[in-house]
Amino acid sequence: MTKLIVGGPLAAPEHQRAGHPERPSRVEAAMAGVDDLHLGSDLEAVVGTPATLEQLSRVHSSAYLSELGAFCRSGGGDLDPDTYATPASFDAARAAVGAGLAAVDALAAAGEGVAFVAARPPGHHAPGDRAMGFCLLNNIAVAAAELVARGERVLIVDWDVHHGNGTQEVFWDDPSVLFVSTHQWPLYPGTGAATEVGGPHALGLTVNVPLDPGSTGDSVRAGLDELAAPAIDAFDPTWVLVSAGFDAHRADPMADLALSSGDFADLALVVRDLAPRPGRLALFLEGGYDLEAVRGSVGAVLGALLGVRRAVEQPTSGSGAASVARAVAERAAVLARLSDAGRTTGTGP
Amino acid sequence: MSPVRTIAVGYDGSLGARTAARWALDLAVQLDAQVVLVHARGMLGRTDEERLLADLAESALALATATGLDPAKTRWHVSQGDPCSALLRAGAPPISADLIVVGSRGHRNDAGLPLGSTSHQLAEHSAVPLVIVPTPVAGSEGAT
Repeated sequence: MTKLIVGGPLAAPEHQRAGHPERPSRVEAAMAGVDDLHLGSDLEAVVGTPATLEQLSRVHSSAYLSELGAFCRSGGGDLDPDTYATPASFDAARAAVGAGLAAVDALAAAGEGVAFVAARPPGHHAPGDRAMGFCLLNNIAVAAAELVARGERVLIVDWDVHHGNGTQEVFWDDPSVLFVSTHQWPLYPGTGAATEVGGPHALGLTVNVPLDPGSTGDSVRAGLDELAAPAIDAFDPTWVLVSAGFDAHRADPMADLALSSGDFADLALVVRDLAPRPGRLALFLEGGYDLEAVRGSVGAVLGALLGVRRAVEQPTSGSGAASVARAVAERAAVLARLSDAGRTTGTGP
Repeated sequence: MSPVRTIAVGYDGSLGARTAARWALDLAVQLDAQVVLVHARGMLGRTDEERLLADLAESALALATATGLDPAKTRWHVSQGDPCSALLRAGAPPISADLIVVGSRGHRNDAGLPLGSTSHQLAEHSAVPLVIVPTPVAGSEGAT
Protein backbone atom coordinates (compact mmCIF):
# COMPACT_ATOMS: atom_id res chain seq x y z
CA MET A 1 0.00 0.00 0.00
CA THR A 2 1.16 3.57 -0.71
CA LYS A 3 2.08 5.55 2.35
CA LEU A 4 0.13 8.60 3.57
CA ILE A 5 1.95 11.45 5.28
CA VAL A 6 -0.40 13.75 7.18
CA GLY A 7 0.74 17.29 7.87
CA GLY A 8 -0.77 17.96 11.26
CA PRO A 9 -3.50 17.38 12.14
CA LEU A 10 -3.87 20.90 13.45
CA ALA A 11 -7.49 21.76 14.24
CA ALA A 12 -6.32 24.99 15.92
CA PRO A 13 -9.09 25.43 18.48
CA GLU A 14 -7.40 28.65 19.57
CA HIS A 15 -8.40 30.14 16.23
CA GLN A 16 -12.18 30.07 16.08
CA ARG A 17 -15.23 32.28 16.42
CA ALA A 18 -18.68 31.15 17.50
CA GLY A 19 -20.94 30.55 14.52
CA HIS A 20 -18.24 30.99 11.90
CA PRO A 21 -18.19 28.18 9.30
CA GLU A 22 -14.37 27.99 9.19
CA ARG A 23 -14.00 26.02 12.40
CA PRO A 24 -11.87 23.33 14.06
CA SER A 25 -14.39 20.58 13.39
CA ARG A 26 -13.50 20.81 9.71
CA VAL A 27 -10.07 19.34 10.41
CA GLU A 28 -11.63 16.76 12.72
CA ALA A 29 -13.98 15.75 9.89
CA ALA A 30 -11.07 15.52 7.48
CA MET A 31 -9.19 13.28 9.90
CA ALA A 32 -12.29 11.13 10.34
CA GLY A 33 -12.07 10.59 6.60
CA VAL A 34 -8.45 9.53 7.02
CA ASP A 35 -9.35 7.23 9.91
CA ASP A 36 -12.03 5.57 7.77
CA LEU A 37 -9.21 4.16 5.63
CA HIS A 38 -7.66 2.19 8.53
CA LEU A 39 -4.14 2.79 7.28
CA GLY A 40 -2.34 1.56 10.37
CA SER A 41 1.42 1.78 9.97
CA ASP A 42 1.04 3.25 6.49
CA LEU A 43 0.02 6.52 8.11
CA GLU A 44 2.67 8.95 9.35
CA ALA A 45 1.81 12.27 10.96
CA VAL A 46 4.26 15.18 10.97
CA VAL A 47 3.49 18.45 12.72
CA GLY A 48 6.74 20.28 12.06
CA THR A 49 7.48 23.64 13.57
CA PRO A 50 5.79 26.98 12.94
CA ALA A 51 6.98 28.55 9.71
CA THR A 52 9.77 31.06 10.19
CA LEU A 53 9.53 34.64 9.06
CA GLU A 54 12.14 33.86 6.44
CA GLN A 55 9.98 31.08 5.01
CA LEU A 56 6.84 33.21 5.12
CA SER A 57 8.64 36.13 3.51
CA ARG A 58 8.97 34.19 0.27
CA VAL A 59 5.25 34.86 -0.15
CA HIS A 60 4.17 37.55 2.31
CA SER A 61 5.56 41.04 2.73
CA SER A 62 7.46 41.60 5.94
CA ALA A 63 5.24 44.61 6.59
CA TYR A 64 2.10 42.45 6.44
CA LEU A 65 3.61 39.79 8.68
CA SER A 66 4.59 42.42 11.22
CA GLU A 67 1.16 44.04 11.16
CA LEU A 68 -0.72 40.76 11.37
CA GLY A 69 1.37 39.62 14.32
CA ALA A 70 0.83 42.91 16.11
CA PHE A 71 -2.91 42.87 15.35
CA CYS A 72 -3.27 39.44 16.91
CA ARG A 73 -1.15 40.29 19.92
CA SER A 74 -3.34 43.33 20.53
CA GLY A 75 -6.40 41.11 20.78
CA GLY A 76 -7.40 40.41 17.18
CA GLY A 77 -10.74 41.26 15.61
CA ASP A 78 -12.17 41.47 12.12
CA LEU A 79 -9.64 41.47 9.30
CA ASP A 80 -12.35 41.80 6.69
CA PRO A 81 -16.09 41.12 6.68
CA ASP A 82 -15.40 37.39 6.44
CA THR A 83 -12.10 36.92 8.22
CA TYR A 84 -11.35 37.07 11.90
CA ALA A 85 -8.26 36.82 14.07
CA THR A 86 -7.90 35.90 17.70
CA PRO A 87 -4.88 36.63 19.89
CA ALA A 88 -3.54 33.19 18.91
CA SER A 89 -4.36 33.29 15.19
CA PHE A 90 -0.96 34.38 13.92
CA ASP A 91 0.72 31.51 15.73
CA ALA A 92 -1.97 29.09 14.53
CA ALA A 93 -1.50 30.23 10.95
CA ARG A 94 2.28 29.89 11.21
CA ALA A 95 1.81 26.39 12.57
CA ALA A 96 -0.48 25.48 9.68
CA VAL A 97 2.13 26.68 7.19
CA GLY A 98 4.78 24.76 9.10
CA ALA A 99 2.75 21.56 8.93
CA GLY A 100 2.62 21.92 5.16
CA LEU A 101 6.34 22.46 4.91
CA ALA A 102 7.00 19.47 7.17
CA ALA A 103 4.71 17.25 5.10
CA VAL A 104 6.45 18.22 1.88
CA ASP A 105 9.85 17.60 3.46
CA ALA A 106 8.76 14.20 4.77
CA LEU A 107 7.37 13.27 1.39
CA ALA A 108 10.54 14.33 -0.38
CA ALA A 109 12.58 12.28 2.05
CA ALA A 110 10.35 9.23 1.69
CA GLY A 111 10.35 9.38 -2.09
CA GLU A 112 7.01 7.60 -2.17
CA GLY A 113 3.43 8.02 -1.08
CA VAL A 114 1.30 11.14 -0.88
CA ALA A 115 0.89 13.92 1.67
CA PHE A 116 -2.28 15.48 3.02
CA VAL A 117 -2.04 18.65 5.10
CA ALA A 118 -4.92 18.66 7.58
CA ALA A 119 -4.43 22.08 9.11
CA ARG A 120 -6.26 25.36 9.42
CA PRO A 121 -6.76 28.24 8.92
CA PRO A 122 -6.82 27.69 5.16
CA GLY A 123 -4.68 29.83 2.89
CA HIS A 124 -5.47 30.10 -0.79
CA HIS A 125 -7.31 33.45 -0.65
CA ALA A 126 -4.42 35.23 1.09
CA PRO A 127 -2.23 37.26 -1.28
CA GLY A 128 1.13 38.49 -0.14
CA ASP A 129 -0.05 41.58 1.63
CA ARG A 130 -3.40 40.92 3.30
CA ALA A 131 -5.81 38.47 4.86
CA MET A 132 -9.10 37.64 3.21
CA GLY A 133 -11.66 34.88 2.71
CA PHE A 134 -10.97 33.13 6.04
CA CYS A 135 -7.24 32.98 5.15
CA LEU A 136 -4.35 34.61 7.00
CA LEU A 137 -1.23 33.02 5.52
CA ASN A 138 -1.07 31.16 2.24
CA ASN A 139 -0.06 27.64 3.26
CA ILE A 140 0.27 26.12 -0.20
CA ALA A 141 2.02 29.15 -1.64
CA VAL A 142 4.72 29.07 1.03
CA ALA A 143 5.26 25.36 0.38
CA ALA A 144 5.45 25.97 -3.36
CA ALA A 145 7.86 28.86 -2.88
CA GLU A 146 10.07 26.63 -0.74
CA LEU A 147 10.15 24.04 -3.51
CA VAL A 148 10.87 26.69 -6.12
CA ALA A 149 13.79 27.89 -4.01
CA ARG A 150 15.15 24.35 -4.32
CA GLY A 151 14.93 24.53 -8.09
CA GLU A 152 11.64 22.67 -8.56
CA ARG A 153 8.86 23.43 -11.06
CA VAL A 154 5.59 23.34 -9.17
CA LEU A 155 2.10 22.71 -10.49
CA ILE A 156 -0.66 23.90 -8.16
CA VAL A 157 -4.14 22.55 -8.86
CA ASP A 158 -6.86 24.34 -6.87
CA TRP A 159 -10.21 22.54 -6.93
CA ASP A 160 -11.78 24.54 -4.09
CA VAL A 161 -15.14 25.96 -5.19
CA HIS A 162 -13.77 29.49 -4.76
CA HIS A 163 -11.05 30.87 -7.00
CA GLY A 164 -7.61 30.74 -5.38
CA ASN A 165 -6.98 34.41 -5.90
CA GLY A 166 -4.22 34.67 -3.33
CA THR A 167 -2.15 31.88 -4.83
CA GLN A 168 -2.72 33.22 -8.32
CA GLU A 169 -1.57 36.68 -7.28
CA VAL A 170 1.55 35.36 -5.56
CA PHE A 171 2.72 33.41 -8.62
CA TRP A 172 1.18 35.59 -11.33
CA ASP A 173 4.50 36.39 -12.98
CA ASP A 174 6.57 33.44 -11.74
CA PRO A 175 7.70 31.06 -14.49
CA SER A 176 8.46 28.34 -11.91
CA VAL A 177 4.84 27.80 -10.89
CA LEU A 178 1.85 26.75 -12.99
CA PHE A 179 -1.42 27.60 -11.26
CA VAL A 180 -4.66 25.87 -12.29
CA SER A 181 -7.97 26.68 -10.60
CA THR A 182 -11.42 25.20 -11.15
CA HIS A 183 -14.15 27.16 -9.41
CA GLN A 184 -17.72 28.32 -9.52
CA TRP A 185 -18.23 31.65 -11.27
CA PRO A 186 -19.54 34.12 -10.45
CA LEU A 187 -18.71 33.60 -6.80
CA TYR A 188 -16.38 34.95 -4.17
CA PRO A 189 -13.78 36.41 -4.58
CA GLY A 190 -14.83 37.55 -8.06
CA THR A 191 -11.51 36.81 -9.73
CA GLY A 192 -10.67 33.74 -11.81
CA ALA A 193 -11.87 34.59 -15.30
CA ALA A 194 -10.49 32.44 -18.10
CA THR A 195 -8.89 35.59 -19.47
CA GLU A 196 -6.53 35.76 -16.48
CA VAL A 197 -3.55 33.89 -17.91
CA GLY A 198 -0.45 35.11 -16.08
CA GLY A 199 2.06 37.95 -16.19
CA PRO A 200 4.55 38.77 -18.93
CA HIS A 201 7.18 36.39 -17.58
CA ALA A 202 4.66 33.61 -17.00
CA LEU A 203 2.23 34.01 -19.85
CA GLY A 204 -0.10 31.02 -19.94
CA LEU A 205 1.00 29.74 -16.53
CA THR A 206 -2.25 30.76 -14.90
CA VAL A 207 -5.17 28.58 -16.00
CA ASN A 208 -8.66 29.38 -14.79
CA VAL A 209 -11.68 27.15 -15.31
CA PRO A 210 -14.75 29.15 -14.24
CA LEU A 211 -17.80 26.92 -13.97
CA ASP A 212 -21.50 27.74 -14.01
CA PRO A 213 -23.49 27.12 -10.81
CA GLY A 214 -24.80 23.57 -10.82
CA SER A 215 -21.83 22.18 -12.70
CA THR A 216 -21.18 18.50 -12.17
CA GLY A 217 -17.96 16.56 -11.96
CA ASP A 218 -17.66 15.89 -15.66
CA SER A 219 -17.43 19.64 -16.28
CA VAL A 220 -14.52 19.95 -13.86
CA ARG A 221 -12.74 17.05 -15.53
CA ALA A 222 -13.42 18.52 -18.97
CA GLY A 223 -12.00 21.83 -17.82
CA LEU A 224 -8.80 20.17 -16.68
CA ASP A 225 -8.56 18.18 -19.90
CA GLU A 226 -9.32 20.96 -22.32
CA LEU A 227 -7.87 24.03 -20.62
CA ALA A 228 -5.18 22.85 -18.28
CA ALA A 229 -3.69 19.75 -19.89
CA PRO A 230 -1.84 21.54 -22.72
CA ALA A 231 -0.25 23.98 -20.29
CA ILE A 232 0.67 21.19 -17.85
CA ASP A 233 2.25 19.09 -20.58
CA ALA A 234 4.38 22.02 -21.71
CA PHE A 235 5.31 22.98 -18.13
CA ASP A 236 6.43 19.48 -17.14
CA PRO A 237 6.14 19.88 -13.36
CA THR A 238 8.50 18.23 -10.90
CA TRP A 239 6.03 18.60 -8.01
CA VAL A 240 2.23 18.73 -7.81
CA LEU A 241 0.48 20.52 -4.94
CA VAL A 242 -3.30 20.58 -4.61
CA SER A 243 -5.48 23.17 -2.89
CA ALA A 244 -8.01 20.55 -1.87
CA GLY A 245 -11.14 22.33 -0.84
CA PHE A 246 -14.28 20.26 -0.60
CA ASP A 247 -16.86 23.03 -0.87
CA ALA A 248 -17.62 22.11 -4.48
CA HIS A 249 -19.49 19.14 -2.98
CA ARG A 250 -23.23 19.30 -3.65
CA ALA A 251 -23.98 19.31 0.10
CA ASP A 252 -21.83 22.32 0.89
CA PRO A 253 -23.76 25.37 2.13
CA MET A 254 -21.35 27.99 0.76
CA ALA A 255 -21.72 27.44 -2.97
CA ASP A 256 -23.65 25.76 -5.74
CA LEU A 257 -21.53 23.25 -7.60
CA ALA A 258 -22.82 19.68 -7.60
CA LEU A 259 -19.85 17.38 -7.11
CA SER A 260 -19.89 14.12 -5.16
CA SER A 261 -17.15 12.43 -3.20
CA GLY A 262 -16.68 10.16 -6.22
CA ASP A 263 -15.88 13.20 -8.32
CA PHE A 264 -13.16 14.21 -5.90
CA ALA A 265 -11.76 10.69 -6.09
CA ASP A 266 -11.63 10.99 -9.88
CA LEU A 267 -9.91 14.36 -9.62
CA ALA A 268 -7.37 12.86 -7.26
CA LEU A 269 -6.44 10.28 -9.86
CA VAL A 270 -6.10 13.02 -12.45
CA VAL A 271 -3.63 14.98 -10.32
CA ARG A 272 -1.79 11.79 -9.35
CA ASP A 273 -1.08 11.18 -13.01
CA LEU A 274 0.28 14.71 -13.37
CA ALA A 275 3.02 14.08 -10.81
CA PRO A 276 6.33 13.02 -12.38
CA ARG A 277 6.82 10.15 -9.96
CA PRO A 278 5.61 8.83 -6.59
CA GLY A 279 6.34 11.06 -3.63
CA ARG A 280 5.68 14.30 -5.47
CA LEU A 281 2.00 14.91 -4.70
CA ALA A 282 0.80 16.86 -1.65
CA LEU A 283 -2.74 17.99 -0.93
CA PHE A 284 -3.62 20.92 1.33
CA LEU A 285 -7.03 21.27 2.99
CA GLU A 286 -8.67 24.54 1.98
CA GLY A 287 -12.47 25.06 2.16
CA GLY A 288 -15.30 22.61 2.78
CA TYR A 289 -18.01 23.42 5.32
CA ASP A 290 -20.35 20.42 5.36
CA LEU A 291 -18.64 18.07 7.77
CA GLU A 292 -20.03 14.82 6.36
CA ALA A 293 -19.09 15.91 2.84
CA VAL A 294 -15.57 16.74 4.01
CA ARG A 295 -15.22 13.37 5.74
CA GLY A 296 -16.55 11.41 2.78
CA SER A 297 -14.58 13.37 0.23
CA VAL A 298 -11.28 13.19 2.08
CA GLY A 299 -11.77 9.46 2.44
CA ALA A 300 -12.61 9.13 -1.24
CA VAL A 301 -9.62 11.17 -2.39
CA LEU A 302 -7.05 9.49 -0.20
CA GLY A 303 -8.59 6.07 -0.73
CA ALA A 304 -8.22 6.52 -4.47
CA LEU A 305 -4.61 7.70 -4.15
CA LEU A 306 -3.63 4.96 -1.74
CA GLY A 307 -5.44 2.13 -3.47
CA VAL A 308 -7.86 1.51 -0.61
CA ARG A 309 -11.04 0.06 -2.03
CA ARG A 310 -14.16 1.50 -0.43
CA ALA A 311 -17.62 2.66 -1.39
CA VAL A 312 -17.91 6.30 -2.45
CA GLU A 313 -20.66 8.38 -4.01
CA GLN A 314 -21.02 7.97 -7.75
CA PRO A 315 -19.30 10.59 -9.93
CA THR A 316 -21.73 13.13 -11.34
CA SER A 317 -22.39 14.29 -14.89
CA GLY A 318 -24.90 16.06 -17.07
CA SER A 319 -24.44 19.77 -16.47
CA GLY A 320 -23.19 20.35 -19.97
CA ALA A 321 -20.00 21.78 -21.40
CA ALA A 322 -21.02 25.36 -22.07
CA SER A 323 -18.89 26.99 -19.40
CA VAL A 324 -15.80 25.01 -20.36
CA ALA A 325 -16.27 25.74 -24.06
CA ARG A 326 -16.65 29.42 -23.26
CA ALA A 327 -13.50 29.38 -21.14
CA VAL A 328 -11.50 27.61 -23.85
CA ALA A 329 -12.46 30.27 -26.38
CA GLU A 330 -11.77 33.18 -24.03
CA ARG A 331 -8.38 31.84 -22.95
CA ALA A 332 -7.30 31.15 -26.51
CA ALA A 333 -8.30 34.63 -27.62
CA VAL A 334 -6.45 36.44 -24.86
CA LEU A 335 -3.34 34.27 -25.21
CA ALA A 336 -3.25 34.97 -28.93
CA ARG A 337 -3.63 38.68 -28.35
CA LEU A 338 -0.96 38.82 -25.62
CA SER A 339 1.39 36.65 -27.60
CA ASP A 340 1.07 38.97 -30.59
CA ALA A 341 1.65 41.98 -28.36
CA GLY A 342 4.72 40.31 -26.88
CA ARG A 343 6.16 39.67 -30.31
CA THR A 344 5.58 43.29 -31.19
CA THR A 345 6.97 44.86 -28.03
CA GLY A 346 9.47 42.24 -26.97
CA THR A 347 7.89 41.88 -23.53
CA GLY A 348 6.43 38.44 -24.05
CA PRO A 349 7.95 35.12 -22.99
CA MET B 1 -17.82 68.64 -19.42
CA SER B 2 -16.40 67.16 -16.24
CA PRO B 3 -14.11 64.19 -16.76
CA VAL B 4 -15.88 62.55 -13.83
CA ARG B 5 -19.07 60.94 -15.08
CA THR B 6 -19.38 58.00 -12.69
CA ILE B 7 -18.38 57.91 -9.04
CA ALA B 8 -18.15 54.54 -7.28
CA VAL B 9 -18.56 54.55 -3.51
CA GLY B 10 -17.61 51.67 -1.27
CA TYR B 11 -20.68 51.00 0.82
CA ASP B 12 -21.12 48.67 3.74
CA GLY B 13 -23.70 50.69 5.67
CA SER B 14 -21.17 51.86 8.26
CA LEU B 15 -20.78 55.42 9.47
CA GLY B 16 -17.66 55.79 7.34
CA ALA B 17 -19.46 54.52 4.25
CA ARG B 18 -22.45 56.81 4.78
CA THR B 19 -20.16 59.79 5.22
CA ALA B 20 -18.27 58.92 2.06
CA ALA B 21 -21.51 58.43 0.15
CA ARG B 22 -22.85 61.81 1.17
CA TRP B 23 -19.58 63.46 0.10
CA ALA B 24 -19.74 61.66 -3.23
CA LEU B 25 -23.36 62.61 -3.81
CA ASP B 26 -22.66 66.27 -3.07
CA LEU B 27 -19.85 66.14 -5.61
CA ALA B 28 -22.07 64.36 -8.11
CA VAL B 29 -24.66 67.15 -7.86
CA GLN B 30 -21.98 69.69 -8.74
CA LEU B 31 -20.55 67.62 -11.58
CA ASP B 32 -23.84 66.21 -12.88
CA ALA B 33 -22.32 62.77 -12.43
CA GLN B 34 -23.91 59.49 -11.41
CA VAL B 35 -23.11 57.60 -8.22
CA VAL B 36 -22.85 53.83 -7.85
CA LEU B 37 -22.89 52.42 -4.33
CA VAL B 38 -20.72 49.30 -4.45
CA HIS B 39 -21.24 46.62 -1.86
CA ALA B 40 -18.93 43.60 -1.64
CA ARG B 41 -20.82 40.46 -0.83
CA GLY B 42 -17.95 38.49 0.69
CA MET B 43 -17.96 34.78 1.45
CA LEU B 44 -20.55 34.92 4.19
CA GLY B 45 -23.07 37.14 2.47
CA ARG B 46 -25.35 34.60 0.89
CA THR B 47 -27.66 34.02 3.82
CA ASP B 48 -29.05 37.56 4.12
CA GLU B 49 -28.99 38.69 0.52
CA GLU B 50 -32.60 39.87 0.32
CA ARG B 51 -32.17 42.12 3.33
CA LEU B 52 -28.88 43.39 1.95
CA LEU B 53 -30.39 44.36 -1.38
CA ALA B 54 -33.32 46.06 0.30
CA ASP B 55 -30.96 48.03 2.54
CA LEU B 56 -28.83 49.10 -0.39
CA ALA B 57 -31.80 50.28 -2.43
CA GLU B 58 -33.23 52.17 0.51
CA SER B 59 -29.90 53.74 1.40
CA ALA B 60 -29.22 54.83 -2.16
CA LEU B 61 -32.62 56.49 -2.47
CA ALA B 62 -32.39 58.16 0.93
CA LEU B 63 -28.93 59.53 0.25
CA ALA B 64 -29.94 60.85 -3.15
CA THR B 65 -33.00 62.55 -1.72
CA ALA B 66 -30.97 64.10 1.06
CA THR B 67 -28.43 65.60 -1.32
CA GLY B 68 -30.75 66.61 -4.13
CA LEU B 69 -29.24 64.33 -6.75
CA ASP B 70 -31.62 62.98 -9.35
CA PRO B 71 -32.51 59.49 -8.01
CA ALA B 72 -32.13 58.19 -11.55
CA LYS B 73 -28.43 59.00 -11.24
CA THR B 74 -27.96 56.86 -8.15
CA ARG B 75 -27.75 53.11 -8.28
CA TRP B 76 -26.21 50.27 -6.34
CA HIS B 77 -24.10 47.31 -7.32
CA VAL B 78 -23.45 44.12 -5.39
CA SER B 79 -20.04 42.70 -6.21
CA GLN B 80 -18.44 39.37 -5.47
CA GLY B 81 -15.33 39.53 -3.39
CA ASP B 82 -13.80 41.48 -0.57
CA PRO B 83 -14.30 45.26 -0.53
CA CYS B 84 -10.83 46.04 -1.84
CA SER B 85 -11.10 43.67 -4.79
CA ALA B 86 -14.60 44.85 -5.61
CA LEU B 87 -13.57 48.49 -5.69
CA LEU B 88 -10.41 47.80 -7.66
CA ARG B 89 -12.69 46.37 -10.35
CA ALA B 90 -15.02 49.38 -10.27
CA GLY B 91 -12.97 51.19 -12.90
CA ALA B 92 -13.88 48.50 -15.42
CA PRO B 93 -17.31 47.68 -16.85
CA PRO B 94 -20.06 47.39 -15.83
CA ILE B 95 -19.41 50.27 -13.43
CA SER B 96 -16.64 52.08 -15.35
CA ALA B 97 -16.04 54.53 -12.54
CA ASP B 98 -13.88 57.62 -13.12
CA LEU B 99 -13.49 58.18 -9.38
CA ILE B 100 -13.63 55.93 -6.33
CA VAL B 101 -14.70 57.26 -2.94
CA VAL B 102 -14.35 55.37 0.33
CA GLY B 103 -14.55 56.15 3.99
CA SER B 104 -11.39 55.94 6.03
CA ARG B 105 -13.06 53.37 8.30
CA GLY B 106 -15.65 50.75 7.40
CA HIS B 107 -17.37 48.11 9.49
CA ARG B 108 -14.17 46.22 10.06
CA ASN B 109 -11.98 46.83 13.02
CA ASP B 110 -9.03 48.11 11.01
CA ALA B 111 -7.75 50.78 13.32
CA GLY B 112 -4.84 48.57 14.27
CA LEU B 113 -4.20 47.12 10.84
CA PRO B 114 -3.39 49.91 8.41
CA LEU B 115 -1.87 47.63 5.81
CA GLY B 116 -5.01 45.56 5.67
CA SER B 117 -7.50 48.37 5.45
CA THR B 118 -9.53 48.85 2.32
CA SER B 119 -8.63 52.50 1.93
CA HIS B 120 -4.90 51.89 2.23
CA GLN B 121 -4.99 48.94 -0.15
CA LEU B 122 -6.88 51.02 -2.67
CA ALA B 123 -4.43 53.89 -2.35
CA GLU B 124 -1.67 51.48 -3.25
CA HIS B 125 -3.34 49.59 -6.09
CA SER B 126 -6.16 51.64 -7.63
CA ALA B 127 -5.75 52.69 -11.25
CA VAL B 128 -8.64 55.10 -10.83
CA PRO B 129 -8.37 58.37 -8.86
CA LEU B 130 -9.34 57.80 -5.25
CA VAL B 131 -10.79 59.98 -2.51
CA ILE B 132 -10.64 58.82 1.11
CA VAL B 133 -13.20 60.66 3.24
CA PRO B 134 -12.37 60.90 6.95
CA THR B 135 -14.83 59.05 9.12
CA PRO B 136 -16.26 61.26 11.87
CA VAL B 137 -16.15 60.18 15.46
CA ALA B 138 -19.13 57.95 16.23
CA GLY B 139 -22.05 60.06 17.43
CA SER B 140 -21.04 63.18 15.53
CA GLU B 141 -22.56 62.08 12.20
CA GLY B 142 -24.26 64.97 10.49
CA ALA B 143 -22.44 67.59 12.54
CA THR B 144 -20.65 68.84 9.47
